[in-house]
Amino acid sequence: MIEAGHFAAFLALVFCGFQAGFGLTGDRVRSGLFAGLGFAAMAFAFMTLVWAFARSDFSVELVAAHSHTLKPFGYKIAGTWGNHEGSMALWCLVGLGFGAAGAWLMKSGRPVFEARALGVQGLLSLGSLAYLLFASSPFTRLDPAPLQGAGLNPLLQDPALAIHPPMLYLGYVGYSFVFALAAAGLIDGRIDRQWARTARIWALAAFVPLSLGIALGSYWAYYELGWGGWWFWDPVENASLMPWLIGAALMHSLIVTEKRGSFSSWTALLAVLAFCFSMLGAFLVRSGVLTSVHSFAVDPLRGAVLLFGLLALGGAALVLFALRAPKLSAGPPWLAASREGALMGNNLVLAVATATVLLGTLFPLIAEAFGQTVSVGEPYFNLTFTPIMALALLALPIVQAWAWGKADLASFWKWAAGFAGLVAAFWLAGIGPLDIPLLAGIGLALGVWLVFGAAQEIWRRAKTLARLPQMPLRVWGMTLAHAGLGIFVIGAVLQTSGRTQTTLALQEGEAQAIAGWQVRLDDVSSIEGPNWYAERATLTATRGGSKTELHPQKRYYPAARMPTTETAIHKTGTGDLYIALGDGRRNQAGETRWTFEVFHNPLIDFIYLGVVLIALGAGLCMSGKRTKTKPETA
Amino acid sequence: MKTFLAALLVFFAAGGQAQLADPEQEARAQDLMREIRCVACENEPISNSGSDIAADMRERVRAMVAEGRSDAEIRNWFAERYGEFVLFRPSARGPGGWLLWGTPFILLVSGGVIVLALRKRSRAARAEIDAVDPEEAGSA
Repeated sequence: MIEAGHFAAFLALVFCGFQAGFGLTGDRVRSGLFAGLGFAAMAFAFMTLVWAFARSDFSVELVAAHSHTLKPFGYKIAGTWGNHEGSMALWCLVGLGFGAAGAWLMKSGRPVFEARALGVQGLLSLGSLAYLLFASSPFTRLDPAPLQGAGLNPLLQDPALAIHPPMLYLGYVGYSFVFALAAAGLIDGRIDRQWARTARIWALAAFVPLSLGIALGSYWAYYELGWGGWWFWDPVENASLMPWLIGAALMHSLIVTEKRGSFSSWTALLAVLAFCFSMLGAFLVRSGVLTSVHSFAVDPLRGAVLLFGLLALGGAALVLFALRAPKLSAGPPWLAASREGALMGNNLVLAVATATVLLGTLFPLIAEAFGQTVSVGEPYFNLTFTPIMALALLALPIVQAWAWGKADLASFWKWAAGFAGLVAAFWLAGIGPLDIPLLAGIGLALGVWLVFGAAQEIWRRAKTLARLPQMPLRVWGMTLAHAGLGIFVIGAVLQTSGRTQTTLALQEGEAQAIAGWQVRLDDVSSIEGPNWYAERATLTATRGGSKTELHPQKRYYPAARMPTTETAIHKTGTGDLYIALGDGRRNQAGETRWTFEVFHNPLIDFIYLGVVLIALGAGLCMSGKRTKTKPETA
Repeated sequence: MKTFLAALLVFFAAGGQAQLADPEQEARAQDLMREIRCVACENEPISNSGSDIAADMRERVRAMVAEGRSDAEIRNWFAERYGEFVLFRPSARGPGGWLLWGTPFILLVSGGVIVLALRKRSRAARAEIDAVDPEEAGSA
């Protein structure tokens, strides 16, 4: 079976070659046909892998190394992409999928351009398939087959983490198609409004799953690692944040190119960079050049191949860009105070923010080259990334109302006064019973400001309540996304400045107070699951009249010889009571005390709600009303 | 199961430290613990790490906060003892520090200047720029 899959993957490689060849020579129909065939072949190859995992076929090396008969069925399936080789197969599948979808859905009225985009996508798929087949093949047999598999990393046996990689890859690899469109546009020398209309859809199609994938990963880290936080500025997290930031810049820049025809070379550059950053992310995660809490499949040689691919790709794209960018049209002129200026500011901030994340992530490597060992973590990003982004968020509600070309600045002071008032209100409230520090007050004001700004913007456009439902989906999408950003900021600020963390050491029957809750340890018992056993604590938490039972666990997976934390989270309307079970310690008197990390995380769900709204908003923008396409004469 | 329990007790023999009585001091200690890297783990602050050494380092932080030492003194103490490496807030001294801390802000300012400078070229035409009706944008 797996041999058939192996063969199909080679077939896909050949089809990709044809897709690239026909595409680059301008044959839209044949290139599209081979894109479809390639995807079908790769889908079959991937299914044989999934099948091998589903059946626990340990004669396949990959299954033997990463699966186990005792593993729940769903996680056996998810195990297919829970390792380096399998995830590369998924990467190829998604890339070919985007090629096939592009062949099917692209209707720009420019067959030669579309053919070239498919051709470039074919080349990218060819590269990733070659890497899969020759540098990290998942289709290898093992003889003799072992009786039992070596198990999967237990941290990965989790619903959020099972769907996290496919989501992330839809985003990362989605940008490969945006890259292909940019390359084709540059070859044509036409990065114009028509091009932007086509590229916009695909840029959004990559942005939505990437956002959701990052949110899933963050949520997983929150409840699984037992650290009570949601973002750790870990290199692996940063690797996914960088393409997201560039993607966010790209979709805003595309609006200018679509509506006005301006920013064309900058938009093309961003379109190229989004995929380069996706590949950089893959390189950072897989090469092991950076120490991270959750990097997997560390192999320097594979990293070197990825780095070579990244440099070749980025280099080729930049050469193409340098050759063509001067020929692109600049669009109509605009003043600094205009919609164009506002979106340029957005792009500047997002680009600088990306550069900051990149610098912070790579700086330890740079320092090491000079013989110094340095760590760059949360404090650095909080002092650089955060204020720079805050600047953009502060400006957003004001500048989004600016007109194209030249803005009317008459209402500017009203807006400035409005924000000052908001900050003052939060700060004054802070002096009172709420006890909010000044910085957190500004942060909260910023969040409320964004939500208010989003509502104000759609109201400004609709003018009356009756017209509100008739607003185009794109406007609703923008409103939801910007409001989501505000909700995210509120959640993030509250979580960072308002959380309470306590370590409790409790004996059975003992109780202690935290953040208004009275937490009592009832007992600790041993339980067993399908492929793990655990210590499970029973705690009763009471606050006011409400009472709840929590069961944090400390699990041990014998097949992987690995302990994990299963936190217990009690959600209330105002926040999470979060308990992670630590260790038990027996003192000389023979009493056992158990330690617990107890957090109260106010409104942490706002963080995830915010990101989901951003993704939803971006999704709505995809289906939004299109500007009418003029028939193409060229 | 009994042996497993015993194994767990040994495995996680660290942890379980007393918190500082003063909530303000405790909060300061916790903030510091989030900034100091565990020397035995991969990229984890001592606030999160389950290792023995991290527990010792946490106790050290609390002790020094209780003694009334300043944040900077405590950071320096750890940096001297374990190297700059343990600080997640790298120092801004030296060319490396300048590069790390200055670049984002220099990029932001110079990026803004470059954008404006590029636009200046078409200054002659600026007087004639008019606001574009939103309905009109995208149909021109």
